[in-house]
Amino acid sequence: MLNVGVIGLGQMGRLHLYDCFHLDGVKVVAAADRSKRFLSKAGALGVKNLYSDYHAMLNDPRNLDAVVISLPNFLHYDAVRLALESGLDVFVEKPLARTVEECRGILHSVEKSGRKLMVGHCMRFLDAIEKMKNLVDEGHIGSLEAVTAEQILNGPFSHGAVPTPVPEWWFDPEKTGGGVLLDLGCHMIDLFRFFAGEADVVFSHLAHKMNLAMEDGAIVILRSKNSDTKAIINVGWYQKSIFPSYNFRFIVHGNAGFISTDQFTPRNIYSHAIKEGAKNLLRKIAGRKIKPLTYTYYYEQYFKELALFFDCVKRDLEPPVTAVDGLRTVEIVHKAYELADSAVKLGSPAHRRG
Amino acid sequence: MSDIVGLAKVADENLNFYVSKALDLANFNIRRKVESVSIKVNLCYYWDSFTGYTTDPKLVASIIDVLREKYRLHNADMRIVEADATAMRAFHAFKMLNYEELAEEKGVTLFNLSNDKVAVRKVCVNNRELSLKIPQSLLETDLFINMPKMKIMSATVITCALKNLFGCIATRRKIVYHKMLDEAIVGVNKILKPHLTVVDGIIGLGRFPVKMNLIVAGTNPFSVDCVVSKIMGYNPSQIGHLKLGHREGLGDPREIRVVGEDLEKLREMFPRVRGLRLKMGNRVQIQLFKLYSRIVGDVTPPFLET
Repeated sequence: MLNVGVIGLGQMGRLHLYDCFHLDGVKVVAAADRSKRFLSKAGALGVKNLYSDYHAMLNDPRNLDAVVISLPNFLHYDAVRLALESGLDVFVEKPLARTVEECRGILHSVEKSGRKLMVGHCMRFLDAIEKMKNLVDEGHIGSLEAVTAEQILNGPFSHGAVPTPVPEWWFDPEKTGGGVLLDLGCHMIDLFRFFAGEADVVFSHLAHKMNLAMEDGAIVILRSKNSDTKAIINVGWYQKSIFPSYNFRFIVHGNAGFISTDQFTPRNIYSHAIKEGAKNLLRKIAGRKIKPLTYTYYYEQYFKELALFFDCVKRDLEPPVTAVDGLRTVEIVHKAYELADSAVKLGSPAHRRG
Repeated sequence: MSDIVGLAKVADENLNFYVSKALDLANFNIRRKVESVSIKVNLCYYWDSFTGYTTDPKLVASIIDVLREKYRLHNADMRIVEADATAMRAFHAFKMLNYEELAEEKGVTLFNLSNDKVAVRKVCVNNRELSLKIPQSLLETDLFINMPKMKIMSATVITCALKNLFGCIATRRKIVYHKMLDEAIVGVNKILKPHLTVVDGIIGLGRFPVKMNLIVAGTNPFSVDCVVSKIMGYNPSQIGHLKLGHREGLGDPREIRVVGEDLEKLREMFPRVRGLRLKMGNRVQIQLFKLYSRIVGDVTPPFLET
């Protein structure tokens, strides 16, 4: 049995917490968050040790084997390093950290500690992406020539069933480390790397429609270093999207055909939810384990990534998304920032004011 | 005497002309000295006016121009006001929705009503006494202009002039009033009496945003809402806060005279959502999720937690 601590109980942290209860051989024994409300939720689920400061948890790691970290970006570096130095295996939400330097520091800690680290680049585990990857690897589209990857949502400017304010750190570029390119773009970049290997930035355009201190839209062109495959990455925070709408598309174009995530996305999400929910109900009645979150068509990826991480910890395997992957992605994001800085930022407040 | 509600269609980029026309249709006049003007916009969240959610700053700019040029309020102290909401902070909304640029361009101030002095007012609605925190400055302003959007909302079916004043309540977590929303809306409107309501119907929000290119103006927000409700395809007598507002004396749907554009033609343009579907849609989904999770033991994404 792995004893696990969950650090950060925001939306992602709570999702990971709930997912842990469906994983065999995993026991959540500790949780940390500044919010008393969320700590009491964890307490109600049977988590024994509750901390208002994650340092207190990590300074006394005797009962822990691993931690799941879902903190604001500016705390990743501190929390991840402390956890690794405390001898714990770490799952950390994406991005690995705000800057290339912080990512390198974390990578150094991973190497020094010998512990495992997995970054939550969850979209690799989306059912549609897994199927597409298999088909590409089996040669179904010929040689991979180009990729179109887009994810345009509200980003942090969304609220759930009960409206809650956007946490203030999201408005501070020092604390986020970047805008939508780091937040959502890192998913698209990671997917491109997953399909086409290491990549370089060819073009970068950042948009500032929402007058934020960081970009709320980005279009970036990447080129694979190994295969000359190109990608157009198009991400934005500027679109009002309300659950269950999910504006994500990934298309792989080969010289023998193409595949899109649209082909694997349920046409009717409600009938999909009913069908998958019914399957789980039957599993429950038959006394078998349910498959968590399959009734949604994209939340399942979060369960899968966590399951894979703990499996790697138990079997002493390298996690499927490592600190190096996290570093490479953040390197590409910052390369895109540099490239955009040297170009005219069409649509930016400065540009509009002339 | 009937309340007049003016409907003006915007046909070209000369927004000032159409705002002026709408005010004329509504028979709006200023007969007293005005030193301070408060314009309450609707910035319920960080989505800009093209989504149909928030008041278009261009329309607010036109109101400011028309007040200065037509009504000679060149020297009045003008403020654009909004209060924090459960999920929205006015400070961020002003910046993100281009109100900072507007304020600079027009030489007006932006004011967060949540930072105002609060006057606690008791009001009786539906035989129930409500205690509401009202920003003091709104009670003292010489000219109070209400600039709502015309849109649907699951909790109230339509949200426009009366609901926009609910947004003035100084309490941040207005969600606490949502269990008695109709009473709270009517209560605020018994206390705050805007001199003019100008509805931003440039883009209306129904099933989807739609370019209505419409300005609705009137001096009684209740009457304005009754007309907007009809444009949106809903009978005012079936909208909770309008029904209650009528009972509580905010106005009379039978005593409204609509002038200007043809209401029927406007109604055809609006992408109506069936009232029941609107009120039940999200709630049913969330309840079904909860029921399923409870029976099967599956995970509910925190996004859906209530």
